Amino acid sequence: MRKMFLVLSLLVVASMVLTACGGGSTEPQTVVQTVIVEGTPQVVEVTVAPSEPEKEAVLRVNLGTYPDIIDPQKSSFVNEIAHLNKVYMGLTTLNEKLETVPGAAESWEFNDDATQLVFKLKPNLVYSDGSVLNAKRFEFAFQRNIDPATAGQYASITDEIVGAPEWRAADTSAADYDPEAYKAALGVKASHADGSECEGYEDTACDTLTLTFSKPAPYFATIAGIWVGYPAKEENIAEGGEIWWTSSKFQVGNGPFIWESVDPFVKSVFVPNPNFAGAGIPTYKLEFRYITDSAVAFEAYRNNEFDVIGSAAEDLPVIEADPDLSAQHVTYAGSCTIKIQFNLQPTWYDKPNPFTDKKVREAFALAFDAEGWTRDVDGNLSLPTWTWIPPGYPGYDPNSPLRFDPEAAKKALSEASEPFNSPEKLNALGLKLNFGDTPRNRQRSEWIVANYKNILGVDIALDPVDPTTATALQKDPNTFPLLSRGGWCADYPDPQNWLSVYWRSNTTFASRPGYANPEFDALVDEADQTVDPAKRMELYAKAQQVLLNDIPAAFGYNTLNHYLVKPWVKGYLTTPQDAGFPGDVTPWTITIDTSMIP
Amino acid sequence: MVNYLVRRLLWLVPVLITVSAVTFIIMRSAPGGPWDTDPERRQVDAATEKSLNAYYGLDKPMWRQFYAYIIGDTNSQTKEWVCGMICGNLGPSYRQRGRTVQDILFAPPEGKNFWQSRFGYSMRLGVLALSMAVFIGIPLGILAALKQNTLIDYTALFIATSGISFPSFVLAIFLIIIFGSWLHWVDIVVDDWTQIKYWFMPMIVLGFGTMAYTARLTRSAMLEVMRQDYVRTARAKGLAERVVIFIHMLKNALIPVITILGPALAGLVTGSFIIETMFSFPGMGRAYVQAIGQRDYSMIMGTTVIYALLVAVANLSVDIIYVFIDPRIRLEE
Repeated sequence: MRKMFLVLSLLVVASMVLTACGGGSTEPQTVVQTVIVEGTPQVVEVTVAPSEPEKEAVLRVNLGTYPDIIDPQKSSFVNEIAHLNKVYMGLTTLNEKLETVPGAAESWEFNDDATQLVFKLKPNLVYSDGSVLNAKRFEFAFQRNIDPATAGQYASITDEIVGAPEWRAADTSAADYDPEAYKAALGVKASHADGSECEGYEDTACDTLTLTFSKPAPYFATIAGIWVGYPAKEENIAEGGEIWWTSSKFQVGNGPFIWESVDPFVKSVFVPNPNFAGAGIPTYKLEFRYITDSAVAFEAYRNNEFDVIGSAAEDLPVIEADPDLSAQHVTYAGSCTIKIQFNLQPTWYDKPNPFTDKKVREAFALAFDAEGWTRDVDGNLSLPTWTWIPPGYPGYDPNSPLRFDPEAAKKALSEASEPFNSPEKLNALGLKLNFGDTPRNRQRSEWIVANYKNILGVDIALDPVDPTTATALQKDPNTFPLLSRGGWCADYPDPQNWLSVYWRSNTTFASRPGYANPEFDALVDEADQTVDPAKRMELYAKAQQVLLNDIPAAFGYNTLNHYLVKPWVKGYLTTPQDAGFPGDVTPWTITIDTSMIP
Repeated sequence: MVNYLVRRLLWLVPVLITVSAVTFIIMRSAPGGPWDTDPERRQVDAATEKSLNAYYGLDKPMWRQFYAYIIGDTNSQTKEWVCGMICGNLGPSYRQRGRTVQDILFAPPEGKNFWQSRFGYSMRLGVLALSMAVFIGIPLGILAALKQNTLIDYTALFIATSGISFPSFVLAIFLIIIFGSWLHWVDIVVDDWTQIKYWFMPMIVLGFGTMAYTARLTRSAMLEVMRQDYVRTARAKGLAERVVIFIHMLKNALIPVITILGPALAGLVTGSFIIETMFSFPGMGRAYVQAIGQRDYSMIMGTTVIYALLVAVANLSVDIIYVFIDPRIRLEE
């Protein structure tokens, strides 16, 4: 009995090990060839060693974290969007200058007051499987994004559409809830060019999509190109159920690639979509891998197992010491501005709040050594900034009154109101810097505290909490930290996304710390409704200067996109909006020079 | 014995409910929720958050949410009855929307079998790591004890001490550099986990600590047993040394070793965040750790319950194995 037990145990272990095994081997092959020897055909049998396989053009990218969800109307994270924008394309898209250019739509037109936007689709559009792609598909995409049953994180991004906020806020559990009534009232309509009704998804003449807005929205052509408007197939979503997005067979799109296969947490493979109607069809296969440890990814890159990885600050000394790696290190401006944010509410936990005093804010903004931060904390993998909209984005304005100036900072503090006009008085209040406690954030926070101690002589206590707790604290005006690090990353390249969405007094981002300025609100409101692009940009520029003058935060640094790219990866056009690898926005320009691959 | 087993299995019910209750209270005491995401990105707006809370029942009182998790409840949106943990339903993931926890952990990807699910991968790696711990750790401990205070003993002790003190992420990157970068025996980026060669490094890293502990425990247990009267008697009877070691000494020395191997197996098969991160291994350890940061409540509850179940079953197995090792032990007692 005991022996049997032992044998059985060994068999279980062995079976598990064997289940893990498999794979093939490359054996010499016997082939039959017909050869001509001095004009006489003869059949000979020869044994040939396996020849070196022809190198395939493959772009192997380490994407890091595997996505939680890959659904156009539910996704929100960069790694999720990096998948979606390979498989789908919106009505519009971006070029390498971040200009809004035709995607699936051939053209678009606003009415005079920008309350209506009409897209005309390119002719003969098809999905990667050859099926018809018409305006009805885009109508479904926008409807699905707004439908409260979808409840996507970016659902509110299309709230300008007539009926969208009402439907999203509807009580879906109410007995009289009628989604079809809300859908009918929605300002999203697919039609033929003459305005007549489309007959369904097979109707090839259904080439017009009309979006009607509750207020002027001259920026909406750009929003129409982001992932929430990607035309996932309704029947695939219905067939696959709630988990349709987990299967590559249901992810049939109109993007530059076809999602060939997915092995969760291991690999995703994309092949060029011959039916892609964008600016060009990629000439290579794309592979995403999901290695989250930067040291392992770096070793794999050096071992030629990756063509592109994100570089990490800890690898910089090795990269800089190696001429080859240095030449392969690509850095350029990213899509985020990070700031030291101040609580602007009148009181903070029933104590007087020093940051209600503009002079205190000025002192803290001028005392932030952004260049020192970039150098000492980020190893030059960020860009110092003193303004809000980052370089590379429409609306970027390097002019700022908030450049690092220690003496001016001290002077500003001395000019603050009586209770806050010296380091001692501020120290008596017990200032705290709240942060999500990770090793990286701790290092960052220690630097910030030391910086303010050195420049202003102010003692700030570290207030570490679990990262999700830190986020939760920032959601409530009553618990919004006195000092914390935060920022914004662009959804789409328009100043409206940076100014109106973030700092207008009625937005969640502005109301939580308590920023409100009627002059700023009036300027962005006017800009948001101005159709003339030049005038619009002028108004946003004024609004940004008002914001900088109010000093709601110490604008610290812009993120930098930083990658190691193998020399055989050519032709990539970088943009701050890249989500995964350089040239991600226009992947069809990339080529792989297979002759260079070792 | 059957009565004993049935009794122990029935005890699992209150144990799992208690574990669930404690986890639920701790989890829900932490600030933040599943919809709190990257603060530098657009946040879930109030209307959407309300819809999500209603769909997942997070708008109900805490007691009812717990009841719904254990027993079940009617979904206020779909009006359908959803049976809870008693039906094997570990709840919906809040972050991988549309998927249930049991689907994420136990369902294999398209066209693959159960052993290629996240739990399947972790299970296989855990069993391999435990095998390594047993088949190397125990002989190493025996050898060290038999050759006490010799070079062999010191070497074994050195390996054991290294195994306990070496952080697994250091060992992992060390192995990756040696076998991946220098020797090119394996790819660093694993393409195909069906090939056994890729399993060695994660197995060594995962099993090294347990192996070291097993070796140390075996050595000390053997040293204690070696001095017992019955061992002296066995030798005095003229039994072969092999018989003395394996039948009289090892059998008794194994009791404490087996005691720790049960919970060790549970720990090994539920995966390891470090190993899965370093080797990009598709197991369930990462899901557990990420779920805590993401406040994916069902995922936290589900993985904790599975862990508790595995520990309980492993301990039960250990109790059964005792009977085979030591005839003096009777389960009924």
